Amino acid sequence: MEFVQNFPAFSIMLCLFAGIVSSVLKKNAAKWLNTILIIVVGAMSVAVLYYTASMNTVYVYQMGRFSAPWGNELRIGCLEAGTALFFCIIMLLSLLGGRTHLEEDVESSRHNLYYVLINLLLSSLLALVYTNDLFTAYVFVEINTIAACGLIMVRQNGRTIEAAIRYMIMSLLGSGMLLLGICMLYDLTGHLLMSNIHEQVLSIVAEGTYKVPLLVAIAIISVGLAIKSALFPFHAWLPDAYGYSTVSSAAILSSLVSKGYIFLLIKIIYRVLGFEVFHDSGIINVFFIFGLCGMIFGSFSAIRENDIKRMISFSSVAQIGYIYMGFGLGTKEAMIASIYHIFAHAVCKSLLFIASSGLTDVSNRSRHFVDLTGAAYRNKIAGVGFTVGALSMVGIPLFPGFISKLLFAQASILNHGKMLPALIVLAISTILNAIYFLKTVIRIYTPVENGRNLTITFRQQRLFGVTLLLFIVFSLALGSCSQPIVDLIRQGLESEIISSIPNTIHQLAQSLMI
Amino acid sequence: MIDYVLPIVLPVICGVMLLVLGVPQKRSNLLLLVSVAMTAVLGIDVLLLTKVSGVRLNLFELTHNVAISFALDRIGTIFYVLILVVWCLVMIFSFEYMKHEQNEKRYYGFFFIVLGVLTGLCFAGNLITFYAFFELLTLTSMPLVLHNQSHEAVMAGLKYLFYSFAGAYLALLGLYFLFQYGNTLDFTAGGVLNEQMAAQHQPLLLVLALLMILGFGVKAGMFPMHAWLPTAHPVAPAPASAFLSAIIVKAGVLALIRVVYYIFGVSFLRGTWVQTTWMILALLTVFMGSMLAYREKILKKRLAYSTVSQVSYILFGLSLMEPVAFSGAIYHVIAHGLIKSTLFLCAGAIIYQTGKIRVEELNGIGKQMPVTIWCYTIASLGLIGIPPTSGFISKWYLASGALNSGNPVFAWLGPVILLISALLTAGYLLPITMHGFFPGEAFDYKAMKKAEPCKKMVIPLLILTALSVISGVFTSPLLAQLQMIADTIF
Repeated sequence: MEFVQNFPAFSIMLCLFAGIVSSVLKKNAAKWLNTILIIVVGAMSVAVLYYTASMNTVYVYQMGRFSAPWGNELRIGCLEAGTALFFCIIMLLSLLGGRTHLEEDVESSRHNLYYVLINLLLSSLLALVYTNDLFTAYVFVEINTIAACGLIMVRQNGRTIEAAIRYMIMSLLGSGMLLLGICMLYDLTGHLLMSNIHEQVLSIVAEGTYKVPLLVAIAIISVGLAIKSALFPFHAWLPDAYGYSTVSSAAILSSLVSKGYIFLLIKIIYRVLGFEVFHDSGIINVFFIFGLCGMIFGSFSAIRENDIKRMISFSSVAQIGYIYMGFGLGTKEAMIASIYHIFAHAVCKSLLFIASSGLTDVSNRSRHFVDLTGAAYRNKIAGVGFTVGALSMVGIPLFPGFISKLLFAQASILNHGKMLPALIVLAISTILNAIYFLKTVIRIYTPVENGRNLTITFRQQRLFGVTLLLFIVFSLALGSCSQPIVDLIRQGLESEIISSIPNTIHQLAQSLMI
Repeated sequence: MIDYVLPIVLPVICGVMLLVLGVPQKRSNLLLLVSVAMTAVLGIDVLLLTKVSGVRLNLFELTHNVAISFALDRIGTIFYVLILVVWCLVMIFSFEYMKHEQNEKRYYGFFFIVLGVLTGLCFAGNLITFYAFFELLTLTSMPLVLHNQSHEAVMAGLKYLFYSFAGAYLALLGLYFLFQYGNTLDFTAGGVLNEQMAAQHQPLLLVLALLMILGFGVKAGMFPMHAWLPTAHPVAPAPASAFLSAIIVKAGVLALIRVVYYIFGVSFLRGTWVQTTWMILALLTVFMGSMLAYREKILKKRLAYSTVSQVSYILFGLSLMEPVAFSGAIYHVIAHGLIKSTLFLCAGAIIYQTGKIRVEELNGIGKQMPVTIWCYTIASLGLIGIPPTSGFISKWYLASGALNSGNPVFAWLGPVILLISALLTAGYLLPITMHGFFPGEAFDYKAMKKAEPCKKMVIPLLILTALSVISGVFTSPLLAQLQMIADTIF
């Protein structure tokens, strides 16, 4: 076994320990520990990504070498490693971009607690990405929820506490349903490891027994994770939670936390249930319809909104609708489009949140559109960043949003029954996106005469400016060089499907271990 | 590679530099900067245009079957030369006109960027590249509409934006399908459809063709999505209106030429219900635009409605799918480009010198600004279609193309509507000349002041007017070119 194969387990453990250590550190020490931790984890993910992609391999890592069915396993392919790397980059950039705001929003005695939460969040995200065990996944889902609540509440004012409680209630409802579903699956199959469950699920389906319990299990797992990732009818907690928390938290919550759950759902679809079983269960039609509704209603709510951060939050509802619509189309192409959209949306949404904080800074901290008039002239780099994010959301060519729309459309053409609704809603949603994002862009570029508001130049905010530049470069790279990324996603997904023949992979794993 | 990329990138760089760099203290310094950049851009463009080989260049792969690629063919060259000429003259006119507007630097900056984007549009070698530049064109030309940032301008800008995006999305919808049904998306004379697939899925492809025609037709102001044009064009500063109305609407025309003649192919669309629908829509727009222009009282709006009507002459010519009408349509692109920019610049000169915007205020204007109104009159005669101007040639070809087409209804209906519309055109353009030169007895000659604009405004006007006449007199080189294009696509 090569040393690089240990890296995923190391990175999860490192994050957990860093979280514990941070609780007794001073503010600056915790900050640096966190930064170094993310960089180290990112570097390890690069190594793992290089290893899995160049060897074109998938391996199972047994924690403590306890073998299946009792041991706890990680399973690593290029999709997992790539996602982990991507999460690290976004998290690092989001934290850098929101650092000055953190100073203002959070009491300085609590800063180390903030980094405790961030470290725990990162560990849980990594675990959700890597794990091959449903119960471990559940445990880290809970850690993720608690950490996310903390991130919302760390800025203490009435609205964040209310938002955090709402988030907590909805999120726990979701985890409860997930737990119920896992229990039922355990009951039906007798296993907790994904590959073993899959084996049993296939035989149950082949025998034709336990149809209803299996369907119920699939349904409540799906709904549980949909609630947690704010799919349309369950999105009520989202705008407050994202809109009022400190900017790093908002960026991380919108671009990473919900995506972690979606990634887990993808793993459950492919590795636990098997794509065919999930496809035949009819849940995908529900996803499809809710996804389409989300795309429309999210945008409508965003149009009605007068507060820039809440508007961006509502746009998340629409974008998550896109991802679920991709699930609902039920083809591999659509799944690739959804995963690409996870990346595209994560970059653009965190960019938008960070840039909007720069805009509100120069508008007397007001987030209302009227006050933002001309903000792009007062903080130029934030204006450019916001424009790039907005153009990507609208789907202008060369930005990532365009590529994901192209992929969705190409995928939907292959599905004859759902082609028309998907394309029509894509069209409507594009225009609605254009309405609220470009309206905002025009607003921030409309000059005003009065000199009441302060102006911030690049020199006064080097860290913020450089972060935004990195974000812009990253999103342009994602948009104009999409092909390698799509290929990587395809390779990763194919390995997910191949591995649904579990025995061979275990033999392979055994041979790798020795 | 350099001959394709530099003409696109250089104006964009100039524009971005203008936007980003600090404002020169004196206005003359800004103008000097702009004119140096302009000379450089034009010089390099013309130099490279003589060298360009027409070989396809694949710049980079966007996704595995989508490349950003450039190839300049004859039709692209014609559009490109027209764009360069009008752009240059409008810029010179702006030097004086923009004196009374705010934010000059931004205006010039976006004017440069728009030139780069239009260049990309002419050079685009496949539908994806074309679409990308088409979207960018909407975004980069919007600041021209928004320029004075009044409430009216912002609303007009938004209207422009949403119509354009709705249209672009209809086009994109077709593009998604064409990935499946086309052999390639590179522009190929005669179409790229996979014959077997085309035969199997004919109804679907026809619907898509109509959607794409409607979608790209938005930019060309075709009914039923024309409403943005009379709102958006007049609110821009007059030189920008001239450029929007004369050139940027032609981007929609170029798009339709590309889609119909280079993607779907004439043989696939000719004689189908799509062609009929397109002809009906185009004729409807011709008639309706003229009627609305006739009723309109504000000069710039009247000219914008006239654009709606005249561009649909071009679309009607294209929709006939017949070589002579095709030549007429392209000829009208040039004629209308030159004439409409002249007319808008005249309107601009009138606003600049007198501040008058309504038609009935223009009594006696010809006595005040004789040169401007003479240019206006000659250009108007061209648009009506009176020989020897270019408008006559193009309409002659359009009408004879319609008569040749052999379509039982449109062979006679087309020319009739074109004639009626020509009469209406005379009706809405010439009163300004008549009342301008013959103000009637009530006119107070004593209160009248000479108001001829300065040379920077008059010279571009004279050149454009002269070009519109010359292109109607010396027709054979251009017609020979058009014949060659028609030979490849029919």
